[in-house]
Amino acid sequence: MQQSEPSAGRTPETVKVVTTHPLPAIPLCIAPADSPGVAFLGMSDFAVHRIDLAADKPEAKPIGEARHGSYVTGIVRAGGTLISGGYDGALIWWDAAAGSVQRRIEGAHAKWIRRLALSPDGSRVASVADDMRTKLWDVATGQCVAEWGDYDAKTPHGYPSMLYTVTFSPDGRFLATGSKTGLILVREAGSGSIAARLEAPVMYTWDPKARNHSIGGIRSLAFSSDATLLAVGGMGKVGNIDHLEGASRIELFEWQAQSRRAEIEDTKYKGLVEALRFGPGDGWLVAAGGDNGGFVSVYAATDGRLLAQEKVGNHVHDLALAADGASLVAVGHHQISAVNL
Amino acid sequence: MHPDHTGGGTTVHPQDSTQGSGVAQPGSGISRRRLLAMSAAGVASPLVADMSAIRLLRSPALAAELRKQERRVILLWLAGGASQFETWDPKPGVKTGGPFRAIPTDVPGIHISELLPGLAQRMRHTAVIRSLNTKIADHGTAAELMECGRRNDPSVRFPDIGAIVARELGRLESTVPDYVSLYTSTEGRRKGTSGFLGARYSPMFLSESMTPPNILRLENLTDVDHHDRAALRDALARRFTAESRSLAVDSHLSAYQRVQGMMASADLFDIGREPESVRARYGSTQFGEQCLIARRLVEAGVPFVKVARAWWDSHGQNFETHQELCADLDHCMSALLDDLRARGLLEHTLVITLGEFGRTPGINASLGRDHFASAWSCSLSGAGVRGGVAYGKTDKEGHTVVEGEASAGDLFATILASLGIDPEHEYMLGSRPVPLADFGSAPISEVLA
Repeated sequence: MQQSEPSAGRTPETVKVVTTHPLPAIPLCIAPADSPGVAFLGMSDFAVHRIDLAADKPEAKPIGEARHGSYVTGIVRAGGTLISGGYDGALIWWDAAAGSVQRRIEGAHAKWIRRLALSPDGSRVASVADDMRTKLWDVATGQCVAEWGDYDAKTPHGYPSMLYTVTFSPDGRFLATGSKTGLILVREAGSGSIAARLEAPVMYTWDPKARNHSIGGIRSLAFSSDATLLAVGGMGKVGNIDHLEGASRIELFEWQAQSRRAEIEDTKYKGLVEALRFGPGDGWLVAAGGDNGGFVSVYAATDGRLLAQEKVGNHVHDLALAADGASLVAVGHHQISAVNL
Repeated sequence: MHPDHTGGGTTVHPQDSTQGSGVAQPGSGISRRRLLAMSAAGVASPLVADMSAIRLLRSPALAAELRKQERRVILLWLAGGASQFETWDPKPGVKTGGPFRAIPTDVPGIHISELLPGLAQRMRHTAVIRSLNTKIADHGTAAELMECGRRNDPSVRFPDIGAIVARELGRLESTVPDYVSLYTSTEGRRKGTSGFLGARYSPMFLSESMTPPNILRLENLTDVDHHDRAALRDALARRFTAESRSLAVDSHLSAYQRVQGMMASADLFDIGREPESVRARYGSTQFGEQCLIARRLVEAGVPFVKVARAWWDSHGQNFETHQELCADLDHCMSALLDDLRARGLLEHTLVITLGEFGRTPGINASLGRDHFASAWSCSLSGAGVRGGVAYGKTDKEGHTVVEGEASAGDLFATILASLGIDPEHEYMLGSRPVPLADFGSAPISEVLA
């Protein structure tokens, strides 16, 4: 991962997988380190790993002895501190270099933690979980400084709902969250007041007739750098929800105007959009996810046009985009891939 | 079709299989089954209300039969195949284990998935079988195997467990159906089959609605007219049979009586007749409402009720799927067990969770699990079952059975035995003996009370 200066004017014309390396477990989230090519991974073996993609034979290794009690699904880095969250409902503060545990908060959430997001100034970390609560934590002290529970615990059909994803706006002012039923809340990160309530109901994918369950939900969110646009990722209408066979779907909102600018559906590369990022300059956004197979796709932020895309091995769970927008690292099922844009 | 109880076997006449079923008892004015039915109606059981026939119960030899006839079954069919890892046989911390923890139950030493916290607190009523190896992992063939307890035979249409239970536990005089099957979702929908037992034991199959269609009295017919017509038909039928008795006529009369019973049983499907507090305990999901209907049916004496909960076929997002569906199963089955127990019905009612197979130890690229029939689980709760038992064992990662391997036939035999039905009893198809449970199978005695 290159950390060079952003280039506002460059728009990717191709997506090219440069390298792919196998991993011993399933990486579910990624946080880049300071050093080029180095990243931290939250994995299905309950551990946080470190990997150096610049090494001759990149190998993911646990950063310390400590483990979560389940899959590690959220990871952020604030300077020399890593914070991880998992399906065990715990948050762990790590010394990124030493791999030692600085703080461990068991029961940070009552159910699965789905994602973490770091505020741009590095002072706060937000967590969302299936207890349908959004919590804001002080990175320095580990104190929970705010907590919101605006989502219904159950879906309209009486089943447990899930709160899959969270992101800060680049100015740190807003915090967006997205749920299984397609409800997006944008709130003022400081006061907690809700600034916008948006809906992407297609992403709920409830099947009342054939299979009587759902498989979709909002899995990814991204603000543009000026925070005027909010991209929402998930899956479109699906016939057979045994598999992730629905079109990958992105809805692009001018959220303050409560207006949907674009709806993007891709039936070539199907499945869930698990990660979204705007490129430098906000002219494009990159999406990654998949069904069994994975994809990385680049779309124009103006109208949702497909600019470039490529198959990326297995289903992609998360990505880290380089600051210059020229490359990314995608983590998928038992693999990690370096991708040039 | 008229099975005759003769010695250890029951002769069935396939040529009559489309004509419904009765019991021929040559030389007897009243059939054994009829006597049992009348007698059973007088047993001080929560399953029946009529005490008038208690005097008929005199023979100790009938006692076992009567106990058997009090038995009921609710099959919770987990259509599509639930994961054993996320239900009854968790493997936390190993590569194949997935993200869920194992939690202790109210039976020391037995742990199940954290997705079933309610059932974990009711494990004392439940025997889990963790060692099914049924080999077949495609939906249709596997469903048939698990429903019938044996592979299909081109020359014979075997009855499924519901039909056999209906045949063995149903009462001729019953005014309620013997076999009710609810399968509302369209995926993997299976009606069930009575096979060579004939249409008499086919399920009342509810797929589009939770209420049987076309069983209500026509609006332009008054209740008085309806009953008068039935009385006239009965009177004429009695006169006719007094002069000319035949199996065909008996079958015809039986069919009419059953239709009248079906019409009278319409209220059983109306959960609006339950107190709001009871409905709330089952919850608002379709599965919850159908479990409540199942309770109402067994309470009224229906021997076999199947409630299919589709669709567990979690090739993609297995863990999300099981979070959703296990929550439903846990809540509804817990409510069902509690309700049955509170009404004194659990000791008479066997509640089964079963699907066509389990799920693979391997987790695929879309975080799914695929079909797997080599080492999977089911559960039996209530009647005839030794609760608080975890039978059988799989290896550390759940790839193979290492202890207590059980086939589909063994499970079938176990279910029959728990109901007091001899799995070795044979139906005679002409000269061909067909045991209720497949040749070579045997009940798992460790899970039987």
